[in-house]
Amino acid sequence: MAKMMYRDAIRNTIFQEMQRDSRVVVLGEDVVGGMGTAGGPEAIGGIWSTSTGLYDAFGPDRVIDTPISESAIMGAAGGLALAGKRPVAEIMFADFIGVCMDQLWNQIAKFRYMFGGKSICPAVIRMPMGAGYNAAAQHSQVIHQFVTGMPGLKVLMPSNPADACGLLRQAIRDDDPVVFLEHKFLYAMSGEVPDDPDFVIPLGHARLARAGEDVTIVASGMMVGYAETAADDLAQDGIGCDVIDLRTASPLDEEAILDSVEVTGRLVVVDEAPPRCNLATDIAALVASKAFASLKAPIEMVTPPHTPVPFARELESAYLPSPAKVAAAVRKTLEYR
Amino acid sequence: MSRIRAFTMPKWGIEMTEGTIAEWMVKEGESITRGQTICLIETAKITNEVEAEYDATVRKILVNGGGDAEPVGALLAVFDEGNHSDAEIEAFLAEFKPAEGGVAAGAAKAKADPAPVATTLAVADKPRIKIETNRPISPEALRLAEEEGIDIAAIEGSGRGGRITHQDVMKALRGPASPVLKGAVQVEADDLTVFASPLARRIASQTGVSLAGITGTGARGRISKKDVLALVQPAAAPAAAVGTPAFVAGENRPEVVPFDRIRKVVAQRLTQAKQELPHFYLRMSASADAMLEMRKTANLVLGCKASVNDWVVKAAATALARHPDVNVQVHGTDIYKFPHADISIAVASPKGLVTPVVRQANLMRIDQIAAETRRLIDKAQAGKLSFEDMDGGTFSVSNLGMFGIENFDAIINPPQGAILAVGGATRQPVEKADGSVGFETRISFTLSVDHRAIDGAGGAQFLQTLKLLIEKPEGLFA
Amino acid sequence: MQLNRDALTRAYRQMKLIREFEERLHEEIQTGEIAGFTHLYCGQEAVAVGVCEHLTERDKIVSTHRGHGHCLAKGCDVDGMMKEIWGSLEGLCNGKAGSMHIADIDKGMLGANGIVGAGAPIAVGAALSNKIDGPDAEGKLAVAIGFSGDGACNQGTTFEAMNLAVVTKAPAIFVFENNHYSEHTGVDYAVGTAGDIASRAEAFGMKVWRADGTDFFAVHDCMREMLDYVRVPGNGPAAVEFDTERFFGHFEGDPQRYRGEGELERLRETRDCLKKFRASVTGAKLLSDSDIDAIDTDALAAIENAVQASRSAARPKPENVLDNVYISY
Repeated sequence: MAKMMYRDAIRNTIFQEMQRDSRVVVLGEDVVGGMGTAGGPEAIGGIWSTSTGLYDAFGPDRVIDTPISESAIMGAAGGLALAGKRPVAEIMFADFIGVCMDQLWNQIAKFRYMFGGKSICPAVIRMPMGAGYNAAAQHSQVIHQFVTGMPGLKVLMPSNPADACGLLRQAIRDDDPVVFLEHKFLYAMSGEVPDDPDFVIPLGHARLARAGEDVTIVASGMMVGYAETAADDLAQDGIGCDVIDLRTASPLDEEAILDSVEVTGRLVVVDEAPPRCNLATDIAALVASKAFASLKAPIEMVTPPHTPVPFARELESAYLPSPAKVAAAVRKTLEYR
Repeated sequence: MSRIRAFTMPKWGIEMTEGTIAEWMVKEGESITRGQTICLIETAKITNEVEAEYDATVRKILVNGGGDAEPVGALLAVFDEGNHSDAEIEAFLAEFKPAEGGVAAGAAKAKADPAPVATTLAVADKPRIKIETNRPISPEALRLAEEEGIDIAAIEGSGRGGRITHQDVMKALRGPASPVLKGAVQVEADDLTVFASPLARRIASQTGVSLAGITGTGARGRISKKDVLALVQPAAAPAAAVGTPAFVAGENRPEVVPFDRIRKVVAQRLTQAKQELPHFYLRMSASADAMLEMRKTANLVLGCKASVNDWVVKAAATALARHPDVNVQVHGTDIYKFPHADISIAVASPKGLVTPVVRQANLMRIDQIAAETRRLIDKAQAGKLSFEDMDGGTFSVSNLGMFGIENFDAIINPPQGAILAVGGATRQPVEKADGSVGFETRISFTLSVDHRAIDGAGGAQFLQTLKLLIEKPEGLFA
Repeated sequence: MQLNRDALTRAYRQMKLIREFEERLHEEIQTGEIAGFTHLYCGQEAVAVGVCEHLTERDKIVSTHRGHGHCLAKGCDVDGMMKEIWGSLEGLCNGKAGSMHIADIDKGMLGANGIVGAGAPIAVGAALSNKIDGPDAEGKLAVAIGFSGDGACNQGTTFEAMNLAVVTKAPAIFVFENNHYSEHTGVDYAVGTAGDIASRAEAFGMKVWRADGTDFFAVHDCMREMLDYVRVPGNGPAAVEFDTERFFGHFEGDPQRYRGEGELERLRETRDCLKKFRASVTGAKLLSDSDIDAIDTDALAAIENAVQASRSAARPKPENVLDNVYISY
């Protein structure tokens, strides 16, 4: 085990996988940084520092710094994958998915299916997402709610450094296309990460972050930390919560969620996406249809409001879920009669 | 006379605000004679037959049997002598207005009336209130709130724009939740050396089962909860089980019985009494041998069948007449002191607990009391107690002795000031006059008083007299 | 450069195969037996064949919605393709693709594409893969060809792809088939550079070529030069605009109200690459009319077989809907 930040867990994993398999290729905007400048290559090493040092180690053929061309990046990832490489493409902010949606949604996600199972597209699309830095409406969004609904894609949302490592390695070794959603606010989060260069986390295997039998809290990404904090507070009052860190939105660990709700009878889902058609509603519907008889109270969903992400500090704070909002939702399920 | 006559919801007693037609006994077009039963009307307390006061023809029935409650004064049917046209009947209907002395007027009258008109007993109508509000509220929610007398000011609307929904009112009717909490549980962290589902991991932690070596049958070879449970509760292991066979609990599904009308009212009244009246309890026991002897003799001599309770009623009534400060009703900040004891006796009936009143029991002879209680009990058990039978009462006697209860504390029935709880007769060892130990039959009493109106000394003195009358029952014939 | 008899025979057969394939589909579609949208390539055969005759299996192509020609020219199985368009389980893509998405990865055909302009970036990705693989024993890189039309040349994806190819020196070739109509709109209206597409590619920083797309030999010669250039590591991409015609509508069912009076007849007469090829080779006595007739017969028979085979080929079952979304889930 080694203690490191979430961003370093990602960078190290990419490095190790590029060493292990020469077909792994990285591309994206400023993944190297400084190309064509006086400062020279690696002037920044990736704006999130998740690709520092890769260029020096593997060279320009395998670490491709691109112009600002999301469609070209996403499309090239698809082409590289069909042609036999294992691309790890970065879209600098998940919000930019709008620019290149076709290449992900209509191309990468669908190649295998359309081509009758006769192709593989082992692309990993890394997208930093989420709020917390007051980056406002066009640089703070989460997008898991869209890509989870796209058949053909797998969607991973690590909540801590160890999961970032294990899930990313799994994604790179997976032959299906994977959308790897890193939360930008978690980049500086520190945690223990296994040293094993083959440490992988199987997909569709949620993590039980806290255990208790009174209420189930389901969360992903940055929301997991909020849920854990809330659960710890509630434990002081004798309320035991199962906190389920989904890790992967697609495939979804349905069993973990349903098993927990069958014991607790109460569900709170925390989702950073706005309330219509998000992951919370998806999970609420799953539980309502498959564990209805176990429910003792209506399902509570803790989400932002139906608005874009606002700028001012107080506004972004009010917009986002929080441990207090999660705890309040838990108490609400316990008050129901 | 040749009028069109309106048959409206009658008002039985000052507190009645509404009633329900339980059943019509006549049909439109039918000729009825004076004294014939027209219908059964049900209130919160009783169901009563309504008899025709004159010969007539039933022209129109406006309210169906078994339907919703109608307020007092509401038009239920129209009678005449069969000599009006349909048009005239329709015209009559169009012009009809319920009488002025409706619910509101009646309530005001009760307050102003100096003579203490009998007011509520244990079971009373919850008045259907009228809610005027600008708040958004669904029609169903409004009706429910009015029927149940819920104050919507206390309700936060959960509907769109703060609208109060039916669910919100239902929630206000239910009490607060009190879930049984189990608290947090410690579980080993998932390190993926053993690939087990979160719940399997927790069950293993809690039951001390080791995950190592379990073959997973879950998706992708994951150990799932049933794999762990198979080890915790070995399925069908009939290993020479000598001794106690394992008990396997099945389902313990409750039958859910919501409060009916009467129980709702009783619940509300009793809760109110227990919460609001400062109950004060005085306990006393009396030797009953003499009274039991005299009962036997009196039953023979007078040819009646007085029960032990009848004798207690007689004794209590006599004692109350001597202690009028215990024979009271409390109305707001006024104490109504009654010269005579109208004793409410608790009787079990098919409709639940009812409390008919033995009026002026202090003036009755024991055989008269016996006859009266017999009459009332029979009526109660036939479900035929009338409102008048249960109206009023200045004091209650509640007897659980026949169930072997030694003593208990009863809840006062407002507006009465006190209630006497009577336990069963038990044989007790006592010290006799000559110092030896003998046995006598004793009965335990608890007097609950409303301490706002009756103080300890007053209650104690009443009990002293009661004890004396029971132990020396010849005093009841003085 | 002179092509030998075999090469000429082969080239003509490929073109004729495509022509008969498309003409036959045009008839069959009207019976209603074929589902979905189809976009026919008649008139443009010389481009597909002129380009693909140079390619090996290491070279990749990415096609458009009008992709049957590129598919056949790259070596995809005729029967497999016809069955795919028929929606059969035995089709090249198990009935999952249909006309617009036919692919054969093993043959280096990375798919027809239902989204206009989507092919260009994918082609650049494939080219980058070839670049990473490095040159072969003769020092030549494998290339990736992205076919586009005068419609796709207006898509942002095309511009991004061109720029990315230039800055990364990817061995990509952008082939623009200007058949003068993007859907129902004329190229002179839609393309701001006065209908001149090649100049756009040039503006992005790559070498460009232009040629008459209805002349097989012009296409073939042009492509040879381009490949010689692009296969050199470090030269980067190139683009070509072929001036060509399509004889059918944008899609089957298009009433083609945008055509001029007698335009289609004139095109069939004066801008038919097959007629021109026949005239050229028979004129130069490289092949005889009867040689070419024999190829015509052969091609027709192959198509007839393909159609018969498709009619009786296995149909997919409802459970096949779930096949191949993921490799593992």
